[in-house]
Amino acid sequence: MRKRTLKRGLTAFWWLTLAFLYLPLAVVVLFSFNASNSAATFTGISLRWYHRLLGNEEILSAFANSMVLAIVSSVIALVIGCLIGYGMYRHRHRKLGWLIVLIYLPIVLPDIVFGISEMAFFVQVHRLTGLLQPGLPTMIIAHVTFQVPFVALIVYSRFVGLDPTLFEAAKDLYATPAKRAVHFMLPTIKPALISAFFLSFTLSVDDFVISFFTAGPESATLPIYIWGAIKKGVSPEINAIATLMIGAVAIAAIISLVFSRRRPA
Amino acid sequence: MNDTLIADAADAQVRRTATVESAREASAIQMQGLHKRFGRDTVALDGVDLTIQAGEFFTLLGPSGCGKTTLLRILAGLEEADDGRLAIGGRDVTEVPPHRRSVNTVFQSYALFPHLSVRENLAFGLKMRGMPPEEREARVAKIAEFIQLGDLVDRRVDQLSGGQRQRIALARALVCEPDVLLLDEPLSALDAGLRSQLQVELLRVQKRLGMTFVFVTHDQQEAMVMSDRIAVLNGGVIQQVGAPREVYEHPANAFVARFMGHDNLYPVSARSGNRLTTPLGELIAEAPGEGGLLLIRPETLDLLPGEVVGDNHLPATVAERLYRGSHAEYRLEIGETTLQATLNNRGRRLPEVGDRVTVTVAPEDLATLSE
Amino acid sequence: MSYSGVVPSARSRAMVRESRHLLFTVAPGATWIVIFLVLPSAYLMGVAFMTNGPYGLPEMPLSLESFRRLAGFGFLGWSPGNLYTLLRSLWQTLVSTGLVVLVAYPIAYYITTCREKWRPIMLLLVVVPSWTNQVIRTFGWMNLLAPGTPLSELAEALGLISANMGLYPSNFAVTLGLVYNFLPFMVLPLYAAFEKLDTAQVEAAQDLYASPVRAFWHAVFPQTLPGLLAGIVLVAIPAFGMYVIPELLGGGKGMMLGNLVANQFAGASNWPLGAAGAILMLIATFVGLFAMRRIGKRLGGGEEVVI
Repeated sequence: MRKRTLKRGLTAFWWLTLAFLYLPLAVVVLFSFNASNSAATFTGISLRWYHRLLGNEEILSAFANSMVLAIVSSVIALVIGCLIGYGMYRHRHRKLGWLIVLIYLPIVLPDIVFGISEMAFFVQVHRLTGLLQPGLPTMIIAHVTFQVPFVALIVYSRFVGLDPTLFEAAKDLYATPAKRAVHFMLPTIKPALISAFFLSFTLSVDDFVISFFTAGPESATLPIYIWGAIKKGVSPEINAIATLMIGAVAIAAIISLVFSRRRPA
Repeated sequence: MNDTLIADAADAQVRRTATVESAREASAIQMQGLHKRFGRDTVALDGVDLTIQAGEFFTLLGPSGCGKTTLLRILAGLEEADDGRLAIGGRDVTEVPPHRRSVNTVFQSYALFPHLSVRENLAFGLKMRGMPPEEREARVAKIAEFIQLGDLVDRRVDQLSGGQRQRIALARALVCEPDVLLLDEPLSALDAGLRSQLQVELLRVQKRLGMTFVFVTHDQQEAMVMSDRIAVLNGGVIQQVGAPREVYEHPANAFVARFMGHDNLYPVSARSGNRLTTPLGELIAEAPGEGGLLLIRPETLDLLPGEVVGDNHLPATVAERLYRGSHAEYRLEIGETTLQATLNNRGRRLPEVGDRVTVTVAPEDLATLSE
Repeated sequence: MSYSGVVPSARSRAMVRESRHLLFTVAPGATWIVIFLVLPSAYLMGVAFMTNGPYGLPEMPLSLESFRRLAGFGFLGWSPGNLYTLLRSLWQTLVSTGLVVLVAYPIAYYITTCREKWRPIMLLLVVVPSWTNQVIRTFGWMNLLAPGTPLSELAEALGLISANMGLYPSNFAVTLGLVYNFLPFMVLPLYAAFEKLDTAQVEAAQDLYASPVRAFWHAVFPQTLPGLLAGIVLVAIPAFGMYVIPELLGGGKGMMLGNLVANQFAGASNWPLGAAGAILMLIATFVGLFAMRRIGKRLGGGEEVVI
């Protein structure tokens, strides 16, 4: 009897929490279709803010910057992180404490410390050498730095989950080192590489603080643009662009659900 | 030194038939002075000299940690010996990496590639060797027929049972037509029934191909059933090499005797000619040898009811009897000493626990060995 | 019969080969992190001990001036502003972490009581909001808490805030934003702990202790502690250094350490002061990590407190 009341209470709490989690997003989506530019009252459905988006070159270029940044940094991080992940696996019996510390450093460092360190460093290097002017390249460098550990850990854990004799079987079946990489290792860790790429991509698109401090005047990404727009005073256009980003996340969520369904456990 | 090693190996070449029409030579294996340490203190192999004949079903037998798997891995090239030489088929391969050795392995965990289908697993080695696709397919089809894989080739690896995986792993290694096939406890993960069925199948395959098989196991029954010859290892050292009967009936030392399942080992306290004094009493052996331990195999004993006096007749009491249908196992007490005996069930009366009996053994069945 | 000439080289050759392989795989990433993170952080730490130049850039000589400034000593004597910011950061971290635990604990438990096929979906539902950009999520709360919105009017009607003030900007809004932001980070490790829960122990405890409260305290809670600790690390450390949420929801009176630091690099331009704040944040981070590891190890669940 008491057990059932507990369960009912928990169910109610669950739905309340879900409401808490989705209310802010729902408000953004709802007001993106608001006919008036009031942030408090909904007066009717219209797509005027979406029409405005298409004409806003700043937003379009911010979108392009976000995409270039996310894709380029994820690809670089995938290559570097994959190598580290394999190295960590292959030499896991050695003392690699220093490497573990190095890999966890970008993960545990607070965003803000990460961002200002990079900024201070890039500014000084630029002053002294003329290289690394703040802009997309510096942002890419910073993003790769925080993506690499995640890629490395995903790849590493995939390798650890494999039967180690598979590596020996590949050798035994006449695969040269290069062929082992192409015909055995890469295909075997392909799922890990895909999820590492998507995680890196998400981390990059999601990031605001580190991008904010490493960006140059021409390289604003979508979050930086939105930030600026909020600071200047709320415009309903932000609701529209934010809704599009929420929509992208929702699609990603559905894809990941379908993926996890298809492969049991 | 190396030249003689290689010349010996070349002499030992024997014709064998292969899965494909073209007959190939079976290969002998020569090992000389193989040493292997892990870390600073763990000695895995301590000077192994061994010759495996071409076309032989050869078993490396021993308890875990005896070095048998290390030896197999050195044959495969997966491990490099610290010292010593290795020749396969007359070629010195001591420093040849595994992917350039014509040797294939059936791994204990089978190690089938999860990202490939069964068919792709079978073709993997051929593909790595650069064989064109049509030829690969023909070879795979042939091996599938030979091992009778049936429709297994079209399955995914995760749809296979343990026994099926084992057969695929065997086929994957055989399809490459290696000079030597290595098998690392390939049956240990299977249940007893399937295991004996696959033992027979494996033996048949080996005899039909005439390929040199090197088999690793810790199960002495399995070793005796399958092998042409057995090498018993302990502590990285070969204790004895010989045919199954030789190893079982004439173990070289107490370790081999115990490992082959013998419990009836008694110290010889005095001897005069053929007469040996043991805790059981005085026994006459036909050819006692020089060792200080007397081995009595349980199945060579006979039990007579009541007390019968004579040479090699020992009075005993039945302490325990395990009835096994085809035979019965006895634990007998002779004074303070116990003795195991096995009696075939030929329909005679089987002595009961508590019976006074007389144990007899023929002088030619007694031999001594050293500690 | 002796090959002693070849003996040592087989081993050492293999070792050289392995070391070269380690270098080849690990060097690019390790070098990258060293150049683009270790070096910059080291530089930042150095900056904290330099003097603020006229353009906000660090200059020689070395001094502890920025730490004095951080503690509130300025040109005009001591003022409590920075200290308030520090205390506020600590307070917000403690309160929001506590609230996150209170919400996440029953949620994580509830998910484990549901049918197995629903659990991944439920977890996904909890996690998905955190996939959207932090700025957007916080913007959503700005919309919800602004003056004139239903929530603000409700609070006004209840007399919690004065008329036309709205629920944001305020410290309350910052706490809410933090809880919202970090909830998934607590639910996930707790869920993992609940899923591994040894139910036999719970049943034995129900047998032995009779009262459900005591059964929970003796059998359930200790088993979830590793997950709880992992969650606390994942929430408290980033919460302490949070920048976006207090900047957008807090206003001038809701500033936290992250804003103090960031402002020295953006508007106010006093790099050494900002760097000193960053050092404080780093110390807090590593003390927090270290403490959790120690506690985690003593509980015997050490490996789970690894982030």
